[in-house]
Amino acid sequence: MAVYIDINRCIGCRSCEVACQRVHGGHGHINVHYVGDYAAVPVLCHHCQEAGCTKVCFSGALHKEGEVTAFDVEKCTGCGLCALACPFGVVWTDKLAHKCDLCQGREQGPACMATCPANALSDDFELAARRARERAARAAAVGGRR
Amino acid sequence: MIRVDARVCLGCMSCSNVCPSQNITRSEDSGRRTVHWKRCKEECDLCVELCPAKALSLVPWDENIPEPEISFDLVACRICGSPYATEPMLQRIESELPAEMQKDASGLEWIRICPVCRRDVEAEGTVRQMVLARSRK
Amino acid sequence: MTKVLVPTVCPYCGAGCGFCIAVEKERASGIEYMPDHPVSQGALCAKGNAALEILCHPERLVSPLKRRGEGWVSISWPEAMDLVARGLSQAKKKHGPRSLAFLSSSKCSNEDNYLMQKLARLLGSPHIDNCARLCHSPSVVGLNRTLGAAGMTNPIPDIASSRCIFIIGSNLAENHPVISRWIHRAKDRGAAVIVADPRATPTSWMADIFLQLKPGTDVALLNGMAHVIIKEGLINRDYIDRSTRGFEALAEAVKEATAERTAEITGVAAEDIVQAARAYAKSPASSILYSMGITQHSTGTDNVQAVSNLALICGQLGRPGTGVMPLRGQNNVQGACDMGALAEFYPGYKKAADPKTIQYFSAAWSVHDLPLGPGLTATEMIEAAAAGTIKAMYIMGEDPANSDPCSENVRQALESLDFLVVQDIFMTATAQLADVVLPGAVWAEKEGSFTNTERRVQWSHKAIEPPGAARSDGEIICDVARSMGLQFDYPHAASVLDEINRTVPQYAGITRERLDAGSIAWPCPTADHPGTPILHCSGFNLADGKASIVPVAFRPAAEAASSDYPFILTTGRVAVHHNAGSMTRRSPSLISREPDLYVEMNREDAAALDVQDGDEVKITTIRGETAAIARLGDRVKKGVVFMPFHFPGTNILTTEITDQEARIPEFKVCACNISRRD
Repeated sequence: MAVYIDINRCIGCRSCEVACQRVHGGHGHINVHYVGDYAAVPVLCHHCQEAGCTKVCFSGALHKEGEVTAFDVEKCTGCGLCALACPFGVVWTDKLAHKCDLCQGREQGPACMATCPANALSDDFELAARRARERAARAAAVGGRR
Repeated sequence: MIRVDARVCLGCMSCSNVCPSQNITRSEDSGRRTVHWKRCKEECDLCVELCPAKALSLVPWDENIPEPEISFDLVACRICGSPYATEPMLQRIESELPAEMQKDASGLEWIRICPVCRRDVEAEGTVRQMVLARSRK
Repeated sequence: MTKVLVPTVCPYCGAGCGFCIAVEKERASGIEYMPDHPVSQGALCAKGNAALEILCHPERLVSPLKRRGEGWVSISWPEAMDLVARGLSQAKKKHGPRSLAFLSSSKCSNEDNYLMQKLARLLGSPHIDNCARLCHSPSVVGLNRTLGAAGMTNPIPDIASSRCIFIIGSNLAENHPVISRWIHRAKDRGAAVIVADPRATPTSWMADIFLQLKPGTDVALLNGMAHVIIKEGLINRDYIDRSTRGFEALAEAVKEATAERTAEITGVAAEDIVQAARAYAKSPASSILYSMGITQHSTGTDNVQAVSNLALICGQLGRPGTGVMPLRGQNNVQGACDMGALAEFYPGYKKAADPKTIQYFSAAWSVHDLPLGPGLTATEMIEAAAAGTIKAMYIMGEDPANSDPCSENVRQALESLDFLVVQDIFMTATAQLADVVLPGAVWAEKEGSFTNTERRVQWSHKAIEPPGAARSDGEIICDVARSMGLQFDYPHAASVLDEINRTVPQYAGITRERLDAGSIAWPCPTADHPGTPILHCSGFNLADGKASIVPVAFRPAAEAASSDYPFILTTGRVAVHHNAGSMTRRSPSLISREPDLYVEMNREDAAALDVQDGDEVKITTIRGETAAIARLGDRVKKGVVFMPFHFPGTNILTTEITDQEARIPEFKVCACNISRRD
């Protein structure tokens, strides 16, 4: 599982950033990046199948637990290799590594997903694609008005 | 006290982070990172054990050996130019990740760009298709 | 110690999102989302997520203060009440009750606002207003005249059933982010979205048709669309005949407003105007959402009426998915107006100038000598203070020294008062000018009802105690009233709502008990009435039940670009700040994301001035100058610049020219010059 983005929906409001920081004691794991003046996209951990961060983590702190790229804080030395091995720039370190933990321990699931005002974040990988297909079908049904 | 093998030290942040007595200091300015190992009498060997490069070892106390210190020039990001990592750390990543992971779909050698620019690249890639679709409208 | 979840209503915008505050050991320990909330469905914007940061903020006012020389000394509540009573009484005695003016707060609850306006009027002053004056007063005037009710006609979730959504003068994606989810839901169902705005914004990202008009040309655009709709026979003749009056005059008035002519005035391509007009008129259910881009103009009332006209000639009212939706800025600006904290209305929009209103409230409150209005509006109070006719002011939860146009003049006017008492949670720019400062409470520290932009009344519970000696605003008002010799016996907010149920017909059935079960939209005339989510389903609250189509002619904005001031400055909000910023600028996770005042300008304009992205520039108008960081892009067209108004610098620049009827200043258009600052 991971949090997926419906890029058509993101309004760049940075609510996910503030929510993530709030539930992680000030250490946020999601960053909203603006692309020109025309779009914004939250960038966060993909929980890669082949996760670079886990491959370079010598202590075993970062590891795969099924689909999730999990983090064991007890083992982390804060060396900083994981941050350099993440192609998406979404793992970072101060004294310890910080990355998306899918809000483990939060009963209601990831805070970013719940708080997104525009419903742009979801744990359903297919959702964005399904919405896009539906929009296209509806547009065709009304005679391609637009 | 600690002996450092400068040939294998990565210049990472592990030992300075884990030392319980703050005997290992790390400073960064104007594109250089300097790690300094103070003389220590403790029998603790956390730093030795948790060194990703196995560059550290404990040796008997000796007033005549100078305190080790190593400086690393930080590598500049190929996109924004800001210094972000030591060369040995990047080489370590390059040696540990499979070759096919080291370039993204467009052939970008992402290891040589900083995390902030990586996010930008990721964001741009994600929206490229959508922005094209929008501008067609 | 157990954790208790206390349901509250977000203190920021008018969307009225709910969330629970987790309380442990009498401290707010966190936020829990509210997935079953009808508007927000568990979502919150960045501001909502950061709301708790102001609760225990170190800069909160924790004790009454009085001025001593250049500084402040803490005083006790009895001493503070004594000073306030003396200050207000002296002015009243020497200069009459009409020398007193009161500013109530659209951030405070319905009960607080009801008490504040009652206090003003029982003291004999008609001069009571709130900051709705600065955001939606043209909606109050314009919608009351055309539709007979000043409020959003349809609820927010209903937007999802709209098939064409026309957003004009609203950057709701940043200012009411949660509304975006309902727009996207409509889009998923095939709705077309039209956005008209001088700036490309995250709201225009959602648009199928984007009309980037010149600032201040809204009436021209709306008339142009009406022209196309009439010419192409897309009007709803049945609806016009059955439910409106005045159509023929409009048809005559817009005869010359062809798409081509409109394109010349607005800078929008003629074919886009035609396309937008067709999409709006043809869709089975179209809604119009608007905000301060419509109202904050010297033609604000005209703009609102032009919006109404469009909806009326297409019959896009009174059904799900249709409507005219003014999106309101503050969490309780709708409620503050409903409660009569307005110069021209007593509670329930009873006209202050009507002797019958005076009779009604004299009986309801068992008093005589209630002042006939209209009183002075928020902006007029400041002018009157400068002219010396207003001598003492009581300002609750507002910051005119920051939020009003031409703010240097406001500062001087407030300084010239004989007595100023300010009740707030922080030492705002206005509080700095006061003789006495009273520490109030934020939403989580008191209870009361709040009415969001959809007319939905919700009860917000008290989660924690106010810090230090701070007290709930209702209690403070009651104490001030008592110290002035009035009988104000309201032991708690519910007892005030009781009285509101009796005196405000729209709220008659919205009782404290019913609010426990959920929210209710006014009008709700009886205790068993379900409330009225959609207005105008069966006619209008005007003569013969018919709405008024009021033709309006395009008039240009008061200021135009000139050789000395070649740019048009327009102002607005950003996602992480709110209004004058007294809360968001003190909220670490918000201010860190947008720390500086900036000016957004077109790349070509910047290049001509040799300004780079991130340079500090000087912005000048005939009223003053301010510094800001240049932010370059293509969001604004050449000749237009944008500044957010959350920082004190912006309103040094804006014009104090107001709409003739609604008295709203033209925040959205003024002429300025920009130069490098070196």
